[in-house]
Amino acid sequence: MPNMIETKNLIKVYGKEVKNEVLHGINLEIKKGEFSSIIGPSGSGKSTLLNLLGALDNPTEGEIYLNGSQINKLDDDQLADFRNKNIGFVFQFHHLLPEFTSVENVMMPNWIGDSNNPDQDENRAMELLDLVGLKGFENKLITKLSGGQKQRVAVARSLMNKPELILADEPTGNLDTETSTKIYDLLRDINKELDTTFIVVTHDRHIASKTDRVIEIIDGRIDKDYLNSPEHEYDNFENVAPKYCFLCGENVIK
Amino acid sequence: MWFEFKVAWRFLKSGKTQTLLILLGIIVGVSVQVFLGSLIGGLQQDLVNQTVGTSPHVTILPENEIPRPLVVNEDKYSRVITFASSTSGINRWREIEEYLNEEEQITEVSPTIDGSGFAVRGQKNLQVVMRGIELDKADGIYNINENLVNGQADIGGNNIIIGTELANELELQPGDTLKLNTSGGVSDRFIVRGIFDLGSKELNSSWIFMSIRRASTLFNFSDQISNIEVQISDVFASDQVADQIMNRFNNINAESWQRNNQQLLTALQSQSSSSLIIQIFVIIAVTLGIASVLAVSVVQKSRQIGILKAMGTKRKRVGIIFLIQGAILGLTGSILGALSGIGLSQAFVTFTRGATGDPLFPITINPTFILISIVIATSAGMIAASIPARNSAKLNPIEVIHNA
Ligand SMILES: Nc1ncnc2c1ncn2[C@@H]1O[C@H](COP(=O)(O)OP(=O)(O)OP(=O)(O)O)[C@@H](O)[C@H]1O
Ligand SMILES: [Mg+2]
Repeated sequence: MPNMIETKNLIKVYGKEVKNEVLHGINLEIKKGEFSSIIGPSGSGKSTLLNLLGALDNPTEGEIYLNGSQINKLDDDQLADFRNKNIGFVFQFHHLLPEFTSVENVMMPNWIGDSNNPDQDENRAMELLDLVGLKGFENKLITKLSGGQKQRVAVARSLMNKPELILADEPTGNLDTETSTKIYDLLRDINKELDTTFIVVTHDRHIASKTDRVIEIIDGRIDKDYLNSPEHEYDNFENVAPKYCFLCGENVIK
Repeated sequence: MWFEFKVAWRFLKSGKTQTLLILLGIIVGVSVQVFLGSLIGGLQQDLVNQTVGTSPHVTILPENEIPRPLVVNEDKYSRVITFASSTSGINRWREIEEYLNEEEQITEVSPTIDGSGFAVRGQKNLQVVMRGIELDKADGIYNINENLVNGQADIGGNNIIIGTELANELELQPGDTLKLNTSGGVSDRFIVRGIFDLGSKELNSSWIFMSIRRASTLFNFSDQISNIEVQISDVFASDQVADQIMNRFNNINAESWQRNNQQLLTALQSQSSSSLIIQIFVIIAVTLGIASVLAVSVVQKSRQIGILKAMGTKRKRVGIIFLIQGAILGLTGSILGALSGIGLSQAFVTFTRGATGDPLFPITINPTFILISIVIATSAGMIAASIPARNSAKLNPIEVIHNA
């Protein structure tokens, strides 16, 4: 199977005067259709890594290949174009535009990409909202939706441009356990149906234990990287970074 | 562009109070501008009309205006010299008149013989100006027929028409006779046929129109006349027309109303410049208003900008969203402002009528001026938006996504 993502010795340094090296040489290969999770203590560099993989930011050193093309040499506008065409994002705080309705938010990636088929786009957006269980909420303003509903709209939006890669940074971080599980199941279904590659940053051990592969980052380095068998979720549970109390959100040793 | 427009529109709509406030600001600014411009434009046009509407724009006179001794009285102790400013008139006036009639920009030509003297009736003896004219030609300048308040405009033979003030002073009615003495010592009786009101107290109390032929014999002008009065289509070309006539003919002098009214024109000009300064400050205020509102809006919308960028919106397009907001604010604000300025002007005209029902303040609504106001306000809106637009383009999506 070809690699969806390949990185070579990724280094990220923040700050100009006071330099803060956050990632110290990440080498990673992620296969097409894989559903991986990234875990690790707060401040370990998970979001930083995800932003680099998502072409939201450029690495200080190292190379990134997405689906075979090297993206770490592109400028801002080329990166923007790349994101628009190839990557779907789901963020912790949904990050929808409150000025627009659900269906408009879902269509937004295509508007940005200057798609010239508005009818077809709208039909697809409607279908996606149906898929995430929001039939009937299409023309509601985002501000009128609940937290879980907003996150579903965000999931629908991430699927709009038919990306091969979806990156989610704590997509269920501020939802209750029941809603979290539903969103996760939704992502899983999409992964199975469309063979979309998923990388999910999470603090939630339950979610991590249900993914195909767990990548644990500590202090800007890959500390552990192992495959799960999703069927044995409960056996996995204790293995998944047992050192952290994920639900506490702090690095408490159990 | 459609995407940028849609987002710009939604951003404006979502900040309703803010949008309405700044729109109101632009409306007030532009309507003041339009109202002020129309009022000052109207006043100026009215002043110019009063000055040149029913008077010659260019007057052609004989050249020798230099006084020359007329009578010299000499005795042992003193020497008294009486000067005459001009005795000879224009000789070649028919040729000049013909030339003037051919010229495109010259609309009215009226050859005139002027003389001064006294109107005598009973005990009263009033100084008057006797003007020999050809009625139809002088009518083009003075609108004599239109301004006749009594009797008829008949100046054949010994018939004359006089002004209202003079008629009141001497208690004259159409049909009455009036004795006129010229300063040259000639005296004759005339019949008043009509009474005019030229709108100026001075003219109404001193002018007497008679036929040019009668004036010629009265003042012994033989084949000369004293001047030719001319009106032109573009009143502000009077200097050029006067120069052109002077270059064409010798021994004549052409005076333009512009040269004779320098002070008025200077006053009009300074009025225009102070009006311009007010307009400039209004534009600056409008620009600053739009700029500050959009600067705040960029901060308020930074989360949305970050999201749009994360989903692949390019830097330039984010900036365009704010430019469009500036343009929408400037355009709608200035169109509404122009309309309310026009409304204000109309209301002003309606509510400030004088006793006669005529508007006290003539207001000229100039579509070009209004269009220019709208274009300027819209460009000001876009210029005002350019700084916030640049700031928004610089925004880094990960900074925004990081925080809730
Ligand atoms: N834009 C930035 N500028 C400077 N430093 C940053 C920036 N973003 C992150 N950092 C620093 O880099 C380190 C890693 O941050 P990162 O957000 O990647 O951690 P994380 O693993 O996602 O943590 P959390 O679980 O709390 O989300 C932290 O020390 C953080 O302070
Ligand atoms: Mg993070």
